Amino acid sequence: MKIRAIGNLLILAATVALSYGMQVSKPHYAELTAPIPIDGAMHDTVRARSFDVRLDKVVFARTLKTDQFGQTRVLTTSGLWAVVTTNLTATSTSTTVADGTWQGRTGLRYHQTERLSYRQDMPPHAVDPGLERNGLFVFEVPPDQIRGASLLVAARQFAPLDAQARISLDAVPTGADGQPAEILPQYDLDAAVPSVQGKS
Amino acid sequence: MSAVSADIEPAGDVRQAETKWRRRGLGALAILLPLTLAEISYDSVREWLHGEDLVARDIDFGQSMPFGGSDWRLADLRGGKAGRLPEHAFAVIATFAVTVGDPDLQKQWLGCKLMLTDATGRRWLPDFISGVSLPDGVMNCTSAIFSGAKKGNVITVGETFIVPEDAVKTIRPAVGLGSERPWYLRFQRPPK
Repeated sequence: MKIRAIGNLLILAATVALSYGMQVSKPHYAELTAPIPIDGAMHDTVRARSFDVRLDKVVFARTLKTDQFGQTRVLTTSGLWAVVTTNLTATSTSTTVADGTWQGRTGLRYHQTERLSYRQDMPPHAVDPGLERNGLFVFEVPPDQIRGASLLVAARQFAPLDAQARISLDAVPTGADGQPAEILPQYDLDAAVPSVQGKS
Repeated sequence: MSAVSADIEPAGDVRQAETKWRRRGLGALAILLPLTLAEISYDSVREWLHGEDLVARDIDFGQSMPFGGSDWRLADLRGGKAGRLPEHAFAVIATFAVTVGDPDLQKQWLGCKLMLTDATGRRWLPDFISGVSLPDGVMNCTSAIFSGAKKGNVITVGETFIVPEDAVKTIRPAVGLGSERPWYLRFQRPPK
């Protein structure tokens, strides 16, 4: 009888310990339904569920020049502007690719800038199957978040369990201080070749 | 001795009855669990089915088919190189002649989607192409919904698309409407 009581107590204690362990280690709901990352490197085509993305180029600049409503604007930043050029195409159905995030090595995330007005080469990018198009993602990032960073690209900002391309930016040349090897004083967004198609 | 056996008899009965009910309980679980799952997911599944163009209804060229309260017929499908399109890309215009039946288009045509499909199952949605516009008298789906078309009117609905060269030979126009999903219409191409 005594042994049985001790046994029951042990089982109870083990259950409590297990339950507590499960409670404290329980992932947050947002983690359980987080996007599913698909890893890739620069210049590789990363196949997400609804689109393919290839990171072609990253340019860093102190200021950004753009024409908005007929006026030239120069946007400054306390960090650096990172202008990422990607090549996008839809896998099976015309869709949009709207979300870009710069993730520093320590996990800090910088969402694409919202300081630019609507442009055809800025998100949301309308993409069609079999047709490649260039799409820009523009970020403001602190200089110490560049080495070892990744670019996260997803169809939408909140897309539970959807694919998210996670492209390592290891190939970006950086100096000994972690800063990019080349930083332009100014990047002119309108000097690039404009895109000619868009979603109606 | 007899007292002992008298004690055991009812205990055995109780245990047997308990075992029986335990089995029934487990059996009920096997039925109730799937039923619960079905009940919980019913709304989501229904919503999903009503939002996707999944099952094609194929129609020969020249034929019309009632869909979303109106009769749909493929009027024209034409393509070509246009303005500043990327290399290997073609502009395609698909137009449909629609005889309006139920004039409540805002309800019947909600979520109207014109698209092109190819032999491999890829789908293209309408695109804006600079320098290419719809022919006169052709409106897109959204304009048609708010055009005030009456029963018996014949309206021409169309869209412009950009498709890659490798798909041009097999593309077929298709129509999806919120009131008909998961079914959608897929038209045969006009004969050359």
